[in-house]
Amino acid sequence: MNLDVFFLQQVLNGLSVGLVYALVAIGFTLIFGVLNVVNFAHGEVYMLGAFAGLVLLTTLGPPLLAAVLLVLAVGAFLGFGLERIAFRPFRRFRDEASLKSKAVREATLLSSLAVSIVVRELTEKFLGADMQVVPERFRLQEPILLEDLGVTGPLSELVIIDGQLWILGAAVVMFAALQWVLHRTDIGLSIRAVAANPLGAQFVGINANRVVIATFAIGSAMGAVAGLLIGLYTADIQPHMGFAPGVKAFVAMVMGGLSSIPGAVICAILLGVSEAVATEFIAQGWSDIIAYAALLLVLLFFPQGLFGGGRERV
Amino acid sequence: MLDRRSLLLASAVLPGAALAQSRPVTLGYMLPLTGEFSQYGIRFRQSATLALEAFNAARRIPVPVQILYEDTRSDAREATSVAQKFSDNAEIVGVLGDFSSSASMAAAQVFARAQLPQLSQTASHPDFVGISRFQFRNITTQAYEGPFVARWAAGNGVKRVAVICIQNDWGQSVAQGFNTAFQAGGGEITSTEFFNPGNREFRSILTKIQRERPDAVYLGMFYEDGAAVLQQRRQLAMRMPFYATSSLYEPRLIELAGAPAAEGLFLATSFMPTNPDPRVQAFVTEHTRRFNMEPNSFSAQAFDAVNIMLEAIARAAPDVTRARLRDELAATRDFPGVTGATTFDPQTREPSKTLARMQVRDGRFTAL
Amino acid sequence: MSASSRNLTLLALLLLAVLPGALWLAGGGYGFRVATVCAIFAILGVSMQLITGVAGLLSLGHAAFYGVGAYTAAKLGTWLGWPFLLTLPAAGLVTMLAGLLVAVPTMRLVSIYFAVATLGLGQMIYVTLLNWVGFTRGPLGIPGIPGISILGLDLSSAAGTYMVTAVVALFSIAVAHRVAHSYHGTALRALREDDQCAAAMGLDVPRLKLEVFAVSAFLAGLAGALWAHSTGFVSPTDFRFSESILILAMVVVGGLGSIPGAVLGAVLLALLPEALRFAGDVRNIVVGLVMFSCILFLPRGLLGEIETLRVLRRIGEGWRAPDGRLLGWR
Repeated sequence: MNLDVFFLQQVLNGLSVGLVYALVAIGFTLIFGVLNVVNFAHGEVYMLGAFAGLVLLTTLGPPLLAAVLLVLAVGAFLGFGLERIAFRPFRRFRDEASLKSKAVREATLLSSLAVSIVVRELTEKFLGADMQVVPERFRLQEPILLEDLGVTGPLSELVIIDGQLWILGAAVVMFAALQWVLHRTDIGLSIRAVAANPLGAQFVGINANRVVIATFAIGSAMGAVAGLLIGLYTADIQPHMGFAPGVKAFVAMVMGGLSSIPGAVICAILLGVSEAVATEFIAQGWSDIIAYAALLLVLLFFPQGLFGGGRERV
Repeated sequence: MLDRRSLLLASAVLPGAALAQSRPVTLGYMLPLTGEFSQYGIRFRQSATLALEAFNAARRIPVPVQILYEDTRSDAREATSVAQKFSDNAEIVGVLGDFSSSASMAAAQVFARAQLPQLSQTASHPDFVGISRFQFRNITTQAYEGPFVARWAAGNGVKRVAVICIQNDWGQSVAQGFNTAFQAGGGEITSTEFFNPGNREFRSILTKIQRERPDAVYLGMFYEDGAAVLQQRRQLAMRMPFYATSSLYEPRLIELAGAPAAEGLFLATSFMPTNPDPRVQAFVTEHTRRFNMEPNSFSAQAFDAVNIMLEAIARAAPDVTRARLRDELAATRDFPGVTGATTFDPQTREPSKTLARMQVRDGRFTAL
Repeated sequence: MSASSRNLTLLALLLLAVLPGALWLAGGGYGFRVATVCAIFAILGVSMQLITGVAGLLSLGHAAFYGVGAYTAAKLGTWLGWPFLLTLPAAGLVTMLAGLLVAVPTMRLVSIYFAVATLGLGQMIYVTLLNWVGFTRGPLGIPGIPGISILGLDLSSAAGTYMVTAVVALFSIAVAHRVAHSYHGTALRALREDDQCAAAMGLDVPRLKLEVFAVSAFLAGLAGALWAHSTGFVSPTDFRFSESILILAMVVVGGLGSIPGAVLGAVLLALLPEALRFAGDVRNIVVGLVMFSCILFLPRGLLGEIETLRVLRRIGEGWRAPDGRLLGWR
């Protein structure tokens, strides 16, 4: 069979979409793991990260890596604030009835949603609902022909984009750093302990509040950097930019089995590729159907997600 | 029967014209001032402000005209409530808006019942003016724009075209208007791709199109989507010419897409800020001075829509009622606006417009 | 007359006589339209309350059922010219069928897995409505849906539409109330607290889930039909994911597990954006803040489940012994 260069390009397109979802999913899954509550405001942290980075780049013009570090700090601060406003107040309910109560659990979920609505509306009001102009020199949109990288043969016609390399790099770094933090540091150990059993963790002397704050700071910092890099890659920075990747990251996390960050990353890429392939063979309009059909199939055969283990009831 | 409003209305009209004359003529404008489409609504309000101030300053009629703005987020649920609110208000003789078709269509049902004339600057739904005799719109219909671009492309030697449209009612009419005309002229449509609103990832669609090797690509979408397509076609090194609908005309498009990405784009347009016509120049200068931003094609459409409405009020004065305003709107002939002359077809109430050609050259919109 | 039907009569009196009278005096159409929207969302609220509040299955795709109902009514009303009296139950039944179709594959799933599966199914239905141009007319939507008329009586005015919607809302509230406060509802609550334990006690968990899904989808379908006939135009954008989230917010703000809470939450969140029009461009920010403070200060809802049960008992709902002593719930 002849190697179809267009199809390969399509798979590459899908991989890049999947990487975008994965980058968002990493921070999202980390936060979910600790509190077992969906953080609807993650998309807003992502959006604010992009806006903050853009303002930083256009006013001070630091090198991109410096901007990334600054946005990490902004994201950590946002995560800290978000936890304070939308999640901390609900931890005042420590009695058993409240811990088991569905009403209190869904209230936490909705509080992050309410915060996200307020943040988005405020951004629209004060920064405008339309796309921000990203000056060309800051964009990560330069195409790279594989031929120029020394690839020969049928693959040489494929195009990748420098932003995709940045996103891949960021995903790898974040993933590795997170694994290191979770498995090699004390705070990581505490995070895993709280995620496994919040009450038990407190019994052995872990300050659960601090752990939750740390998790939010780390997860949101990652979300904000994801927003900046993806914003520069798509040049699409506007108040609604966090919604679509946020939903897909959520789906990827559940498909992957909630607690598994590698699972979420793999499923995010699966979603991206299935969307691109669906566009190729059917139409973009229907591509979401294929992505969600993949989700249902996975859940049908693996009711606890592809890589979920032991976390059946949350 | 249960309808108290009609009683109110009757009592407001009966006491005679003398009383009515002392009060300002009131219009309603429903538009998205918040939410994801607020950038459009804010532009509409700016245009309406300019048009209204000019009209009142000119003292064409003895009483002032005022506009009540209501935010609908372009959401059908809010739009029906606002439409009902406007219909209840016996002072309101005409309504402008809404932006999106779902909101305009839902509101139109209410206005049809209340017999309140509605003029939308953007409602592109093919069934919009068919809802009742009270619906008007000031847009370039795709039944006209499609053939215009089709002839233009064919004249440039284009034989095979791929079409990318947004999956909304307007995108559907774009594809239909263009495809029919282009095929009738002997051209071939290699494929028509619709994308869901909100999608900004076009590489998959573009790669799919690349395989078909069309001579040109036709874009039917709004400028933000257009900016994303233009960036991504450059990345994929698609060198065939791109044609687009007038909705892509927005001064910031080149900035949003990036000059190298936007270079060479062909656009149909009904509004061109460089048009030497003094009306256009006055509008552009005044708009830029007041709001510190250049008008785009949406601003121009809203500006003309408001002016058409005001013109009809001036003709209907001194006895401005909903029914008279409707008849005067329907009688609009060769209204000289910034988007060209507008005439409403007396039967279908569809506007006819003149279009011009434009291309992005050296990072600027250039008239051809 | 039992206490339960007395309370229902009082509610009916309020919704069908007192409120319309007040709206009439306050100036007519606009008030009736807003009240109609509130009533439609009250139906959606109690419908979702059954799945999410009573049975404890977090649903993130409820707008899709609403959409299926609306499209069924729209299609039947325009294509086949069916009258409102037929399209209303038909919309309910078709949506019920859709609900069962959704329920079957998701039966095994619990908690967040179930939520995401409903999100996925809801999005699939939305994408289908948007892209199946041949049948749903896609983004063009369906215009020209006839207004409400019953046996030749034209009720398409704002007030008439409100009256019909209020009657259907009353019916829905009564049905949801009966389901929630019956042996069936108690079984659902058991399932919500611990489905494995419930199964061990001999409850047929899959069947219970299917049944509650069917009832809930039926009610959502009615709401959809009312939306279609009262608006005259349906398009896919009315049934997006954000609508599902809005309905969920109504239920949580009102109080999970409490039927009056769902109604209150729905009315509050449907009314607020209109009531806050004077605030101009910031009104949606205020809506978000109100929602946030409601949840912050009353996380169990404005009318939480326990409080509601207490009140309902006091006003005579529930099962009494012949001597009038309150025994519990039927």
